[in-house]
Amino acid sequence: MNTEQQLKLQAFLDGELPEGEAREILAWTQRDSAAAALLAELRNTRAAMAKAEPHLSLPESREFFWSKIEREIHRLEPGEKNAPEISFFAALRRLLLPAGALAALAVAGLILHFHGSKPVADNLADADDTTVETTLASTDATTYRDASEGTTLVWFSPAVDDSPVPSKKPTAIN
Amino acid sequence: MRTEKFSATRLICAALFLFLLAGATARAADGALALEADLVSGSNDPQAGGTPVSPQIAKKLGRLPLKWQHYFVVNSQQFSVANGESKDVSLSDACQISVKNLGGEQVQLTLMSSGQNVGKIKQSLKKGQTLVAGGNAGNNIVVLRQAD
Repeated sequence: MNTEQQLKLQAFLDGELPEGEAREILAWTQRDSAAAALLAELRNTRAAMAKAEPHLSLPESREFFWSKIEREIHRLEPGEKNAPEISFFAALRRLLLPAGALAALAVAGLILHFHGSKPVADNLADADDTTVETTLASTDATTYRDASEGTTLVWFSPAVDDSPVPSKKPTAIN
Repeated sequence: MRTEKFSATRLICAALFLFLLAGATARAADGALALEADLVSGSNDPQAGGTPVSPQIAKKLGRLPLKWQHYFVVNSQQFSVANGESKDVSLSDACQISVKNLGGEQVQLTLMSSGQNVGKIKQSLKKGQTLVAGGNAGNNIVVLRQAD
């Protein structure tokens, strides 16, 4: 008996053959004892496997069973749905706290900007408050200011001026 | 999963804290003035000798109605004066100054020649501003400014 004949027997046992061919196989098994023996063995094997296969049944419907699994998955998943409800005031506080901090930063920045650091040009021109006091009775003081460079020159000289100052023509003598 | 460790609120609060800390530090440092006083010699000879003043100072002095064209550093002193305090600085045997920090970046410069008080100058001395004082002390002048 070759492999093809063995497969034919298997198909006959499973009821997969057309009626004519099934009759031929049946006649063959009646003539051939080896074929009859193989057929009997295949029947026994199938019967044994059918009995040994465990039969599990759910105590509840299939839909109910899967819905339970689905609920459990959702319960274990951390997400917005499971997050605790936030009260209105808590939400407001979350919003106001950073907004307040930003506002404080902005106010501090504005204060520093307008009062903390004047622009250089303002600083340079801010030397109008020069006060000169001579301690010798016979001494005069001359003040010259270069506003663009932020330089102030104070020259102390005797009342009769023979000082080296006015060699250049000053543009502004205060 | 929420990471509370780096929440925006905490980051902003930390930034605010650092900002205020920096402001307080700056305010604390605001009291003292770091100054530089130079005794400068004027000359019309470019080879008169000595170290020429920095180009920045040379430019400032060049715009003043002084008779010299070239300036050389005779002595340079850097010092710090606390708010309300005075500092005496001797720039040469004949030239001494006393600088008082009046607060608000205002100073009072007292010029002395051979121990004799010549005069006092009171003015603001902010960054970039320069106070030049001179008199009957040969060709020497005093340049006072905030240290860089």
